[in-house]
Amino acid sequence: MNREQLVEDLKQQIIEQLNLQVKPEEIVAGDPLFNEGLGLDSIDALELIVLMQQKYRIKLANAEEGPKVFQSIDTMADYIIAHQPAANK
Amino acid sequence: MYINAASAISPQLSFRQASFLQDWRLLTGHRAACVEPAYADIIEPKLIRRMSRIIRMGVATAMDTLQQAGCTNPDAIITGTAYGCLEDTGIFLKRMVENQEEMLTPTAFIQSTHNTVGAQVALLLKCHSYNNTFVQRSHSFESSLLDADMFLKENPGAKILVGAADELTDYSYTILERFGLFRSHPAGEGACYFVVGSEPDAGAFARVNGVRTLFRPTPGKLEDALAALLAENGLFAGEIDLVLSGNLPGAAAARQYEVIENQLLASVPKIYFKLLCGEYPTATSFGTWLGATILKSQAIPAGLCDAPPTLMRHFLVYLADTAGYHSLTLLTKC
Repeated sequence: MNREQLVEDLKQQIIEQLNLQVKPEEIVAGDPLFNEGLGLDSIDALELIVLMQQKYRIKLANAEEGPKVFQSIDTMADYIIAHQPAANK
Repeated sequence: MYINAASAISPQLSFRQASFLQDWRLLTGHRAACVEPAYADIIEPKLIRRMSRIIRMGVATAMDTLQQAGCTNPDAIITGTAYGCLEDTGIFLKRMVENQEEMLTPTAFIQSTHNTVGAQVALLLKCHSYNNTFVQRSHSFESSLLDADMFLKENPGAKILVGAADELTDYSYTILERFGLFRSHPAGEGACYFVVGSEPDAGAFARVNGVRTLFRPTPGKLEDALAALLAENGLFAGEIDLVLSGNLPGAAAARQYEVIENQLLASVPKIYFKLLCGEYPTATSFGTWLGATILKSQAIPAGLCDAPPTLMRHFLVYLADTAGYHSLTLLTKC
């Protein structure tokens, strides 16, 4: 899966997991996920951690990295690519 | 205790309908799902996404009845539910099995507790008042009414939001169907909330004059309970104008109704309210909504009662189930 496909996949997964009432094309990959932007909250953050672990086999190594990793779909995609197991790259 | 506002979501067109059950339909099939409103008109869309059906139905009826009563911050929120938030419980348990008890998502867990409906209403209202949920099978709604009545005795000026909600899911239908619960009539679901107080408002629906709950009573105990309820209110059996009965012909629980329906109140006209809402443990909340709305409007929707009473002053909501739970709720015109 290339980066573009990963971004689209992330949009779809986030919509499904969080039951968001938006379409993938309405989400801008660089927009903030929390507060303004999609308006997600702390419960959603936990859902995103589980989503990354379940779907992409990426475990957030350091909880303090959370705000940076989950800033936007772009930052999530970058983190997944950087931490993907070698076999999936 | 007076019912000053009432709201119901049921398999009928009952929610915010100007004409009271004018287009009611006899339920057919195995499952009767609620006719749900457009929730976005009632609940902020951002909040809806986390709410399962029972929460949406409960919150919508709670908000609607509070709006009717002009109440923004009730002094108590009391909810009855037998099964609680089954949909989220099912999701949570399924994921627990599939993911081998790891990587569980928080939302389904948080929303799966029985008190979620009452809690969501309180969160939306920012209401820090007394908040309690009763989970007592077929007595869940009646226990809520009794709690509301006791709360009003201690706080006479209070406005209380009291109601009940239960949902039917694929899981619950499959499991309960195995017990033969829905063989002769459809499984149902619904949410009803009321605003009650110790004084009637201008638009009050009815007065709740007493609630009795009994577990596996003998015929004598049932007779005594009815006699005591009537005596407390200076009534005799002949003054009951209508019985709103949870009985259904051919149902597994039909035998349980024998004493009240065919012996003590045999000549009183009856409405079988589960024909409208289906079989579910807190269906008496729908029966109470139906009875209170008839008392307020002084009209019975056409075809609902074989021999409609000429006077509509005192109604009895009666429920009995196969497990032996019986309840008697006396409603009186305001």
